[in-house]
Amino acid sequence: MLSRSLTVLARMTVTFLVIVTLVFFATRMTGNPVDFVVGEGLTSEDRALLIRYFELDGSWWAQYRAFLRGFIDGNFGLSFIERRPVAEIVAARIWPSLQLLLSAMALTLVVALPLGILAAIRRDHWTGSAAMAVAFLGYAVPNFVLAVFLILVFAYWLNWLPVVGNATALHFILPTVTLAAGLIAALTRFTRNAMLDVLGQDYMRTARAKGLPERRVILHHGLRNAGITILSVIGLQVAGLAAAGSVVVESIFAWPGIGDLLVRSAIRRDYPVLQFGVIAVAAAVIVINAAVDLAYAWADPRLRRGTLA
Amino acid sequence: MRRMLQGTALALGLAALTGPAAAQEITVVVANMSGYLDPARDHSNVGSQFYFNLFDPLIHRDYAKLEPEWLPGLAVSWQQTSPTTMELTLREGVQFHTGATMTADDVIFSLNRMFQADFPPYQVRQRDRLANFDRAEKIDDRTIRVHTKRPETLFETLLNLQQLFIVPEAYVKSLAGDPNALEHDDYEAFGQKPVGTGPYRLAEFVPGQMVVYERFEGFWGVPAPLAKATVRHVPEVASRLTALRTGEAHIATNIPPDQLAAIEADPGLKAESAQTALFHMMIMNVNHPKMQDARIRRALTLAIDRDLLNEALWLGKAEIPASHTLREFGPLYMPELKTFRYDPEEAKRLLAEAGYDGFEIVYDHFPNYYTNEVLAAQAIMEMWAAVGINGRLNQQPAWTGGKPEMMVRTWSNPMYFADPAGQFGVMWAPGGPAQSEGRFNTDEAYAAAWERFRFSADLADRKAAYAELMARIEADPPFLPLWRPYESWAMRQGVNWKPQPGHIPYVLDFRAGAITLDAMN
Repeated sequence: MLSRSLTVLARMTVTFLVIVTLVFFATRMTGNPVDFVVGEGLTSEDRALLIRYFELDGSWWAQYRAFLRGFIDGNFGLSFIERRPVAEIVAARIWPSLQLLLSAMALTLVVALPLGILAAIRRDHWTGSAAMAVAFLGYAVPNFVLAVFLILVFAYWLNWLPVVGNATALHFILPTVTLAAGLIAALTRFTRNAMLDVLGQDYMRTARAKGLPERRVILHHGLRNAGITILSVIGLQVAGLAAAGSVVVESIFAWPGIGDLLVRSAIRRDYPVLQFGVIAVAAAVIVINAAVDLAYAWADPRLRRGTLA
Repeated sequence: MRRMLQGTALALGLAALTGPAAAQEITVVVANMSGYLDPARDHSNVGSQFYFNLFDPLIHRDYAKLEPEWLPGLAVSWQQTSPTTMELTLREGVQFHTGATMTADDVIFSLNRMFQADFPPYQVRQRDRLANFDRAEKIDDRTIRVHTKRPETLFETLLNLQQLFIVPEAYVKSLAGDPNALEHDDYEAFGQKPVGTGPYRLAEFVPGQMVVYERFEGFWGVPAPLAKATVRHVPEVASRLTALRTGEAHIATNIPPDQLAAIEADPGLKAESAQTALFHMMIMNVNHPKMQDARIRRALTLAIDRDLLNEALWLGKAEIPASHTLREFGPLYMPELKTFRYDPEEAKRLLAEAGYDGFEIVYDHFPNYYTNEVLAAQAIMEMWAAVGINGRLNQQPAWTGGKPEMMVRTWSNPMYFADPAGQFGVMWAPGGPAQSEGRFNTDEAYAAAWERFRFSADLADRKAAYAELMARIEADPPFLPLWRPYESWAMRQGVNWKPQPGHIPYVLDFRAGAITLDAMN
């Protein structure tokens, strides 16, 4: 278990360093920030003055070294636009995004697991088909279409729910549903398939033959064994969402999250914010992946004992 | 979850309790939100929305009127004592939002930090609009003098600029580093925690997200009509309109023309619109090797039917300028100048005369930064093709106006202050941004005409000089002003607000006289 944890840690560190370097150079390849930040309609004298002021006058190499130094002294620089530390700007955006992510995940688990199990055990019944129809619908409708549809119905026509920001619990409903729809669709399908795989196994027949109640057979013997597949899908989905999946939803609902921040920073070429934001997200994804890796071990005794590794 | 439910109950309870008080509170949803709030360094169309509620200039104007009518601001009276000197008497008992009383030293500090700027963002503003100011000088506790380098005819206009709003000296110095010394970091910090003398104080500022104004009880003038105004960033127009419908918001900015019919059809909503005091432009690089022949560039402008574009894209509600002139300029508004027109036959003739061989002319544009930018660009390509010009669109998020390979591109020229010097004069001065970026040339004759237009004390002479400049522009055009865009704000019935014609573009003025709320709201 310890050596496994160390391997995970080493892998995290290397991944992180690669990301940091890629982020730095990739942002710069999309255009010179001078053309975006310094502004239009300036004399060449004023332009040169502002280039020095924003510390954009050094070579890429010098800027890269200054950037790496940030990891040592914790000074990641000032936003070109807001002129305050980027760590402060990004930190303020993380919690709202995380809240939305957690509420979407909670809704997904509550809906998708029962729906997936239902679709598996009732696969020949109309309820099973109905569950899958719902899942495919969620898969086929892009989240921005769903968002606009929900806004139209529940805010614009019925006037039941608010649409701007995250001030109250009511504000969570529409963005959570929008964000969760795709996840529910995916997880329902994966849960169904994983359950179908285990339902035909010998140990299921044995469990039934022992006279265990059907409920316990499905949940304890069935779901527990399907759990590894389900866990990896959830891990991928959460990581994907944390990486950028909620950008559109945050923009539509004016949610003060990190996706919205990253997009605006990218458009305005506010590199210090963009770099630090991407790194923060990358760190989150790495941590989530590591957590999933470790959770496998918990879910699968063979991994824990090292017999499968 | 339990906390969420408690939160909901609390919010609903609060909503019920605050019913009557809510009559003095509004929420505004805006398409663009600032990352900092420093009126001195800023001249963006985003920032201009926010400063007027927080700060005062020495000299105000009647913002309800198009023609300039100067009113006392933080100065109660003023007199030009020589062509280069203005003496001002300061208002007594003015309080900053910190509670400190405004002194002559605060005023001198505010002015000289711009007149003698050493902070780079201030230096840029000093050079592009305040360059003629020399210094401000304290005479006594109530009297100051402002000196210019050369005779100045625009004293009031310039002292009204947001760049010269008055700020508290001791507060600025206290913000960073040594609390008694002035450092550049003080100016940086001021942009996050601005303090002025206006009728509202900044209760909360979340950069890029939210501005909250609260009535400042110590205001020297007519008290603010609103107890509180919350301005929130909502980038999507559909979300802004929905927020109006649900009652979450009372005013929404940046409503495109195609949404106006839907708003008119909704009994709970209404719209206020105005032609904004800026031009969307097409600029041309006079120094591009293939564009040096003025006849080519004249043909590019003559081929464009701006009236047709106005009908198609703006429902006919934008304004097509005949020259680089705005009605805000008062006596210097010169619609009689016919600098730009539509004449496809003349365009064809000029192209033939110049021996145009069908080479490609690249039209750079942003991905819809300006309303209708992309549709207009596409239509312009068709209009060019109709006279035989081989145009190609090049969507490009970066500013290409300083690149030698740039041929034609989109731009805007806002009115920074109500004088041709505050629009044409900022961008097209000798040695100014356009020339400095290498896409516009001036010579001695141009510079001489520009000097007369900017500094002559004789109005007729200023106008004659401006006409001369426009004749130069017509003969050898570096730009075509496409239109004054038509901007709309949507609001709930019961909110009485509209853009005031005396302001620069986009100001959200919530001072007394600019907004009232009906009881039903």
